[in-house]
Amino acid sequence: MVSEMTRTIRLRVNGREHSVEVPSRRLLVDCLRYDLGLTGTKEGCSVGVCGACTVLMDGQPISSCLALAVFADGKEIVTVEGIAPEEGLDKVQQSFMDHGGFQCGSCTPGMVVTAKALLDENPNPSEDEIKEWMMGNLCRCTGYYQIIKSIQEAAVEASDA
Amino acid sequence: MGPMPYTVIGKPLESQEGRAKVTGAAIFTADVILPEMIWGKILRSPLPHARIVSIDTSEAEQMPGVLAVLTAQDLPDTLTGRIVYDTPVLARDRVRFIGEKVAVVAAEDPDVAEDALSLIEVEYEELPAVFDAEEAMKPDAPLLHPDYRAYLHAPEKFFSDIPNVHSHVTWQVGDIAEGFSQAQEVFEHTFNTHSQHQGFIETHASVVSVDSEGRAHLWITNKMPVRAQKLLADAVEIPQEQVVVHPVCIGGDFGGKGSLMDSPLCYHLSKRTGRPVKMVMTYTEELMAGNPRHPTTISLRTGVSAEGKVVARQARVVFDSGAYAGFKPVPLVNIPGANAAAGVYGTPHVRIDAYSVYTNSVPRGHVRAPGDLQVTFAVESSMELIAEAMGIDPLEFRKRNLLQDGDVLPDGRRLEQVRIRETLEAAVEASSWGQPKAHPHVGRGVAASYRHIGTGEANAQMSLESDGIVKVITPVPDTGTGAHSMLRKVVAETWPLTVEQVRVEARPELFETDSGAGGSRVTYVVGQLVQEMTEELRESVCRVAAAALGCQVDDVVFEAGQYAVKGSSDPALTLAQVAEAGSGKPELCIRKTQVNRETPQVTTFTAQVVELEVDPETGQVKILDVVTSHDVGTIINPVSHQGQIDGGLIQGIGFGMIEEVVMEDGQVSTLHLGDYKLPNIKDIPPLTTVLVQEEIGPAPFQSKAIGESSITPVAAAIANAVYDAVGVRFYDMPITAEKIYWALKERDSHGE
Repeated sequence: MVSEMTRTIRLRVNGREHSVEVPSRRLLVDCLRYDLGLTGTKEGCSVGVCGACTVLMDGQPISSCLALAVFADGKEIVTVEGIAPEEGLDKVQQSFMDHGGFQCGSCTPGMVVTAKALLDENPNPSEDEIKEWMMGNLCRCTGYYQIIKSIQEAAVEASDA
Repeated sequence: MGPMPYTVIGKPLESQEGRAKVTGAAIFTADVILPEMIWGKILRSPLPHARIVSIDTSEAEQMPGVLAVLTAQDLPDTLTGRIVYDTPVLARDRVRFIGEKVAVVAAEDPDVAEDALSLIEVEYEELPAVFDAEEAMKPDAPLLHPDYRAYLHAPEKFFSDIPNVHSHVTWQVGDIAEGFSQAQEVFEHTFNTHSQHQGFIETHASVVSVDSEGRAHLWITNKMPVRAQKLLADAVEIPQEQVVVHPVCIGGDFGGKGSLMDSPLCYHLSKRTGRPVKMVMTYTEELMAGNPRHPTTISLRTGVSAEGKVVARQARVVFDSGAYAGFKPVPLVNIPGANAAAGVYGTPHVRIDAYSVYTNSVPRGHVRAPGDLQVTFAVESSMELIAEAMGIDPLEFRKRNLLQDGDVLPDGRRLEQVRIRETLEAAVEASSWGQPKAHPHVGRGVAASYRHIGTGEANAQMSLESDGIVKVITPVPDTGTGAHSMLRKVVAETWPLTVEQVRVEARPELFETDSGAGGSRVTYVVGQLVQEMTEELRESVCRVAAAALGCQVDDVVFEAGQYAVKGSSDPALTLAQVAEAGSGKPELCIRKTQVNRETPQVTTFTAQVVELEVDPETGQVKILDVVTSHDVGTIINPVSHQGQIDGGLIQGIGFGMIEEVVMEDGQVSTLHLGDYKLPNIKDIPPLTTVLVQEEIGPAPFQSKAIGESSITPVAAAIANAVYDAVGVRFYDMPITAEKIYWALKERDSHGE
């Protein structure tokens, strides 16, 4: 049975401060999507396998379907809505558009967030490093080849810039 | 003749929704949030076959936060389905599979709805169950649907007296008895394939809001939204005009998203509570009660002449349909892919019998290239077995038998422009076929298939807008295949305009009938219609321009995107100015329907070569290289064309090696994506794509279909490569490391 204990948490999401009262069992993915209305983050498998719900917590990619919202208290969260600069798109986002890095778009938010974290940490990854980093993000449409190309091209563009 | 000098065809074009998809702004069904929206959750049957004795919902109803609890007693006594209406919205008197819907709860909070399910008491009386299609066809098998023949849209032409067979379709060419009389040798082989889930990342979801006038507003994961309006209207007994479907992004389809799924329940809950209702399936629900690929038994009897020509092919294909046939989208209520059971080989005498059979299992539906993967595994394995038995090289045996122009397929089509020989030879040429192998347990396998270009009904509205944009309104959503970009390019190239001057919008609620996306149909049927409409609208615009310019139509020239009088220096008119001049003229907004019933006589071929290495200690397979070769027409959008090839191929490798909805006595035991493995980015092999291109397709600009090609032969090529590597032949899919391990162990224990 439910015991609806609630807690008030404070978190920064995409640079904005939020104070939210959530039931203690609320998942972070549901808090983002339904308490804050940030539906860019998708829920796919609900068990931390598919990566669609990936967000950055203090810069690290995590599965928001496995994290309780209360764990995000006091944390800095970046979702797919927070990847783009004020004007235009992040180079990873543009590259996914240019090179067929998505088809249906349901894995794309998690892919973009995870790829962004990769390039932040390793601006010039090898193909093997891309595969190693991205293996927690499933895509059923692309067969991944154009995702790898998208990330590689984004890295090239960054090093040219 | 070289390729035509196109301006936008053949160049990459990002999708109109691309920006929304990479920034998280794109709205999928589960993202729809309406004021006062509440959630529905389903109680499912724990038994594979049982009579429902009683359901007590009183405790659940009293739980704080619960707004409604419904059972079949609260609903109209209707059945639903994509063609045959055989599926209850909620089980009424009996349940037929583990996972069938028995009751539904609505609550403000999805967790509360979920908790309330545990308070519903259902008393069942268990009935004998049958889990295997062959068993279900036996005379003493329990009958799942004694009233099958009375169901709406049950296919009378394909009724059978065999128990639980709801559709028996026969395809024939020549005279099968005559064929076998010409055979020097006759071979019999039987193969089994398993169930594969579509594996889309977005699970099925629905939102329904019933407004004060009784209209049902519907948001749904459905690639045939016009049809969904009709199906929902029938399921809940309201007129079709009362259903308004709202366009949303579809998060992957692969054949699976064409049903109502939970939307009738959303409707009833919304009607009951006066609130918008959302239901989103969990992945566990997808795996236990989605509509995965049919497990299939394929028995082939093949007659071969002394010269090594296949002269007769008899195929018995048994599809395990599961508890309901309602997910099948074709009027046969069967799997037409079975008619590929002669493969890419010209066979003068063929008889194929396909049986679709009820069992107490998850209802099966369409998955990309339905039936094709199953029969291609059988055909391409049997070709190797026969070649080996007759002492002919397997590739040479194939080449002796390949389809040629004028050959008649089992579905009755007389083929034209057959390119299988070129496609196969190109695949072999680009691979390491025939070269020395680097390691002892390396093997190579080849397989080939064909795929039809789909038919159906297309609808569109096309208009010149006041801002000078040509707008195409289609009922077909873009499920991720790039269908809308394809339409923009067809319009732009035909007119000619820039792609920026063309906008495509999905507005399914404006249409009453339509085939929607699926069956590799959209580029052909929708593309062709939109191309014709472009020519018609262009003529009308030219006439309006002539009137505005004060000249004859023949004196109008269209240059650099503007209309002008030939040879005159008067100012030219932009499209926006022509639109203003023609404001309110009906000919600047046209609407058309076109039905393509005849499957084109041009088809598409795929040939693939797989090189892999087996670890004999563990059975683990590492794919070293894949060559996928396709005969293609004009390529409209190279990035999305390659995306279809890549994605299909990896889905086919998943089918062949790791993916299986495992059933144990009707219970799915792979209930999340940790157990049901989809290929990840580290599983993909080096890939070489070979395009055997010629401008001969029936779709606009001589293009062809590509979406259901690359998925089909790869599993068979893997099977043949494993045999080549370790000498073990597999008759059952998928070929997992575990199966190889045990097969090698068994072989070694027999001292072979």
